[in-house]
Amino acid sequence: MFFKNYRAVIFVGAVILAALSLFSYGLKYDAGQSLLQRLAMGAAAPVQKLVTLCVESVENAWTRYVRLVGLEEENRKLRGAIGELEAQLTLYRQGYLEAQRLQALLSMEEREPYRFLAARVIGREQAALSKTLWIDKGQAHGLKPGMPVMALPGLIGRLTNVSWHSARVQLLIDEGSSVDVLVERTRQQGMLRGAGSRGCVVRYISKIQDVREGDVILTSGLSNIFPKGLLVGKVVHTDRADAGMFLNIRVAPFADFTSLEEVLVLAGEKKDPFRERKAAR
Amino acid sequence: MMYYVLLPFLAVLLVVAQSKLAEILFSGLVTLELSLIVVIYAGFRLDLWKGAALSFVVGLAMDCLSGSVLGLFTLLYVFIFLFAWVVSSHIDSERLYLIAGFSLICSLAESLVLVLLYQWVFAFDMVDKILTVLVPQTLLVSVLSACFFYAMRTVERLLTYE
Repeated sequence: MFFKNYRAVIFVGAVILAALSLFSYGLKYDAGQSLLQRLAMGAAAPVQKLVTLCVESVENAWTRYVRLVGLEEENRKLRGAIGELEAQLTLYRQGYLEAQRLQALLSMEEREPYRFLAARVIGREQAALSKTLWIDKGQAHGLKPGMPVMALPGLIGRLTNVSWHSARVQLLIDEGSSVDVLVERTRQQGMLRGAGSRGCVVRYISKIQDVREGDVILTSGLSNIFPKGLLVGKVVHTDRADAGMFLNIRVAPFADFTSLEEVLVLAGEKKDPFRERKAAR
Repeated sequence: MMYYVLLPFLAVLLVVAQSKLAEILFSGLVTLELSLIVVIYAGFRLDLWKGAALSFVVGLAMDCLSGSVLGLFTLLYVFIFLFAWVVSSHIDSERLYLIAGFSLICSLAESLVLVLLYQWVFAFDMVDKILTVLVPQTLLVSVLSACFFYAMRTVERLLTYE
């Protein structure tokens, strides 16, 4: 009866007593080697391992995630850098190609005894009846209508319209173009006319003359527009079957008109100091 | 019966988990005393038998695994449980700010006892750790106990509805 009425108090007292006993034992004898501690540590070891494993898994996953986020950011930056570098590379490549073209033009300028003016092609007109180019130099730079225009390795046309800061070049393949030419091998003279997409044709060379495929065509210098000896093209086809008196000669110009970016305008002959001194005397 | 069988294992799990959490979150600078919160919760929610057993076992697990003097946390937790159990009839556990305040008092008392005991018995000066370790620890316990009570109340309601 007594225990039934005061069992709560007895239980609490027992618990406190047990705790106090443990504490007093711990204070007096405990050196970390008690049975209770060993049991608790034995039970805790697998739990500790499990918890550590879980924590490490989460940590590893988190670290991987953070690293992935970092990689994504790095990847984005690298892609940006690659884009910039590619743009730069394209720019440098353009510059390199332009330098090569200009060097080739310069070599021609040094080789030929003429005064050239370099110009950049700023437009093209490749209509059915008109094959022309626009260049970025004009009257302000000393250009005049009729001046021959060259690109490697030879003549490509002449100036027809010249404004203040631009000019139009009538190409050799323009239907309205005509140039006095001669065959390099036989020195036979003729008239080169534009034929559009078919290139050019040479007229007024008699059928009895010897003109073969592969013969080089040069300017004859007769018209006083084009100096003598400029490369024009190569004979690609001759035909004697027509009823007329003249050969039908097709010529392919040396220059590729579709890829012209810079041209040289032949502005006159180079000044020869020796000749000038002689004339002065 | 199952409660008393599982209690030691759960107590060990709790102590191990709280030390690991403290290590992860605070690099071991502050002790995350979830066990104290559980003991206070037991004082408010469990009957005397289960609560006393829980506080005794959890305190014992703390003693054995934290490397303190054997019986120190056992005694402290038993007293805190009894204090909470007595107070629970006067405080509404639904009011979380009261729970937070009560937990703060319990944690402060525990810290004070620890400091004094180590000072007197082992001549181990812990005064310099009061501001840097013990005060943040008590504040943490205070905040977490309110969260714990709220979470447990939600769980209890969910279980009741089911």
